[in-house]
Parts: sequence; C-alpha cells; structure tokens
Amino acid sequence: MSQMLSPDMTIAAEAAAKVKIEVKNLNFYYGQSKALKDITLSLPERSVTAFIGPSGCGKSTLLRVFNRIYELYPNQTAEGQVLLDGQNVLDRSQDLNLLRTKIGMVFQKPTPFPMSIYENIAFGIRLYEKLSKSEMDGRVEQALKRAALWTEVKDKLSASGLSLSGGQQQRLCIARTVAVKPEVILLDEPASALDPLSTAKIEELIDELQADYTIVIVTHNMQQAARVSKQTAFMYLGELVEFDRTEKIFTSPREKRTQDYITGRFG
Amino acid sequence: MSTATSLHRRRKTTNSLMMTLCLVAAGIGLAWLALILGALLYKGLAGLSVSVFTEMTPPPGDAGGLLNAIYGSVVMTVIAVIVGTPIGVLAGTYMAEYGRFSRLTTIVRFINDILLSAPSIIIGLFVYELLVRPMGHFSALAGSVALAILVIPVVVRTTEDMLNLVPNALREAGTAIGAPRWVVIKSVAYRAALSGIVTGILLSIARISGETAPLLFTALNNQFWSSNLNAPMASLPVTIFQFALSPYEEWQQLAWTGALIITLTVLALSIVARSLTGRREDK
Repeated sequence: MSQMLSPDMTIAAEAAAKVKIEVKNLNFYYGQSKALKDITLSLPERSVTAFIGPSGCGKSTLLRVFNRIYELYPNQTAEGQVLLDGQNVLDRSQDLNLLRTKIGMVFQKPTPFPMSIYENIAFGIRLYEKLSKSEMDGRVEQALKRAALWTEVKDKLSASGLSLSGGQQQRLCIARTVAVKPEVILLDEPASALDPLSTAKIEELIDELQADYTIVIVTHNMQQAARVSKQTAFMYLGELVEFDRTEKIFTSPREKRTQDYITGRFG
Repeated sequence: MSTATSLHRRRKTTNSLMMTLCLVAAGIGLAWLALILGALLYKGLAGLSVSVFTEMTPPPGDAGGLLNAIYGSVVMTVIAVIVGTPIGVLAGTYMAEYGRFSRLTTIVRFINDILLSAPSIIIGLFVYELLVRPMGHFSALAGSVALAILVIPVVVRTTEDMLNLVPNALREAGTAIGAPRWVVIKSVAYRAALSGIVTGILLSIARISGETAPLLFTALNNQFWSSNLNAPMASLPVTIFQFALSPYEEWQQLAWTGALIITLTVLALSIVARSLTGRREDK
C-alpha cells in the first residue's frame, strides 16, 4: 500500500486536522479533451490550501468541480469522486443549490449583483432563511464586518454595489459569500484584478477567515500562495505534480518540475 | 526623409478627402430628414388645435378632429404590447438562458429574424386569413393581433441580445451562492438587462404605431367612435392614409396633423429609450 505514504495523507496526519474535502481519482473533460488527469488529494478543515501552476494547468478547473459550477455549460464532465465530509458531491442525487450554499465561491473579477450593497448581501441569505428586518440587518452588518468592509460602506448601504471600487467590490463578494454561512470558500484568483493595497487587504482577510472556514485559493501569484496558504498543490498540464506543506513546496520540493516552476524557469 | 514626408502628405490628403465625402453623405441623409420634419411641422402645426383631440373624424367638407383614430391607435397598440411583450420576453429568455447552447435556439433565431424583416402587409394578410375571414368581419381585435405579431420579433431579438450581454461571471456568481436558475434569471440577469429590454419594448411600440398595412386588412377603419373590439376601429395611420388620398382640404389638413402627432409620439418614445440605454452605459 504505497498509497499510505502519499504526501497528502502525511499532511493530514501532521496537521492532525479533519479532512474536509477529499478528491479521489478525478478526471475532467472539456468535450473530448482531458483537462484533469487522475487527481487525488485531501484538503484539511479550517485551513488555506493554494493551487498554483501555469495557465491552463487545470487549477481553476479543479476548483470549479468542487461546487459543480461547471455544469452551467454543456460538454463538461467530471469522473471520479469529490467527497465533502465523506459525501460525494458528484453524485447525481446531490442537490446542487444546497451544495452551493455549503461551498461558496469568489471569482477573479468582482461580480457584485446589479442591486444595492445591502441587497447584495441579503439576496443569498433570503434564499434559504426567513428573517425579520432587524435580524437581516444584523446579518448584513456581521457579513460586511467579517469582510472588513463595514466601516467603508455603513453609511451608504442603499448605494449600488457597482458604485464601489474594485477592491471594495471584491470584499463585497466575499461578504456575500460569508453571509450564507458556508463551510468551504473557493477563491478563484481573487486578487489578480486588484491593486497591491486591495490585494493586501484580501490576503489579510483570508488569513482571518481560515479560523472558521476551509479555504481553497487558486492563484498564479506564487508569493501570494506562499503568504496565505498552509499547503500548496502544484499542478501542471492537468496533473497534480506535488502537494505538500507550503513551506516545503517553496523551500525543498521533491519534484524537479515544481522546483523549476517556483524558481521561475518556466510558466 | 523625403519619402516619409511625401507619404505623410499623401495620408493627410486622403484623410481630408475621405472626411469631406463622409460629411457630404451625412449631410445628404440629414437634409432629407430635415425637409420631411420641416414640412410636417409647417403643415401639421397649422391644424393642431384642441378640437383635434376632442372631436371625431368629420364627414367630407366638415371640420372635426381625430379623437376616434387616436383612441383606436392607443387601444390596439396597448393590446398588441400586452399580448406581444410577454411572449417576446419569454422567448428571448429561453434563447439566452435555458437554450443558449441548443439547436432549437439557432432555428428560432433564424426564423425570428425572417419575421423581423417580413413586410408588414404580409402579416396583415396572414391575420386576415386567420381571423377576419373566419369571423366574417373586420375588427379591432384582428388589428391588435396583427400588431402583436409585429411586436414579438423585435422584443425577442432585443431581449436575447441584452441577456447575452450580461456577463456569464454574474450568472456564475448567482449560481455559486446557491440560487436556483430561475432566481438567477429573475433577480440577476433581468436586473442587469432591464433597461435594454425596456428599450426594446419601447422601440417595438415606436415601430407599430406607424404601421398602416397590417391594419388595412384587419381593423379597417371607422368614421365614428367605437370602443367595440369586435368591430372595425379607426387608427391614426389608416386615417392618415385615407384622408391624405382624399380631395377634401379639411381631411388633408387632418392627415398632416395626424402625421405630426405620430411622429412626435415616436420621437418621444425614442428619446425615452435612448435615455434608458444611456443611463445603463453610465454605470
């Protein structure tokens, strides 16, 4: 059983944390072309995991399997297992809307809904909870505080979400995701469209959020991965090349391809 | 060095030549519009008075107004919009949201484009066969149906186009938060595309408010006041058509005034539509 020695298992054992998401033999296809090849890894609970790799390596694709958002488009298929607390999210019988309330997602470009700041937060809550006005006010405030946006917007909650700056919009999207009380938060290059100052704020936020949420972040910025994550997966051409503690990946990777990528020899 | 200067000079000459040609072309286009509007204002304003809006279309040689024609136009337009808009919006929604990748959408879009450019007289004849012949008489109802058929393709097209402009990232964001598809469409996609869809509806009203041909075969005309949908009804375009061809001066004057009223209405609708789209682009 050489599987017993696989690095992800070691990490899980080292961190002594519960496994939140377990990916087993996952293959993914865009039409005929195979984008993910036999991916197997386990993500520990309440911890930040980063996916790095050059463009087209499949890191975003892998992220988009976790909440099955890829199913919005035809001809995209996933095979294998993605276990969330032991339950396969790829099961046909899985209720997709309920799954997505458990697994939130923030995208590369800020995507505030075309409504007020308040409504942007309340929208998601209202889908599954019936709250009084004051309870809702409390939840909106709490979510905005969580995303470190409250002080900036508390006097203009009825203004359009689109009126905010890019960095504020992205924090609004994080607040909106946190508001529905998910267990996992997926971040798809959340800071790549932002300036350095906004990026720093987002990273600070990720650091705070990992106390309560399992976070997976896709990034093409290696320093960012090194700064925010506890473990890092390096992917290349649809394969998981190496998955280990972040400091290990960035100081003494086992694979030559990882070494080449983090030292900037390609990608 | 000298080659570069001569090349530069040649480009400048070509530029000013093309610029002049474009200006002349634009001028010719605008001149006709100005002439038409000028004539319309000059002749139409002369007959514009309160009685136009309070009196019925007169018999030849008498003074009168256009009240029954204005009423008929408003009634038939409103019915056409009430019938045509939901069908158009729902069809456009199917094409842009549910059936975005299906073959059916491609086919429907193709047929819709044909319908969009179909001569309106064909629509009139179609409704004549469909409703007027079986019912045995002309009616306002048939006129409304003919206009509704003209509304549908315009609304289908603009709804689909506007929904397609809504970024997929926004749909993904709505879906990722756990909203079912119909909620994403209703609360996110429609909101993002609202001003565009409303603009499409306003433009379809502008289009049908001047249509004569489809009404000639369906609602016909009525010299008197009638609010019965099951009977022939007057409308501005058909009244203008009839009065303008007549030898009576009073009728001709009313035709000019009616034409002015339609033009101003369409102008107002276009301005509202423009300001709605403009506001969206500001954001």
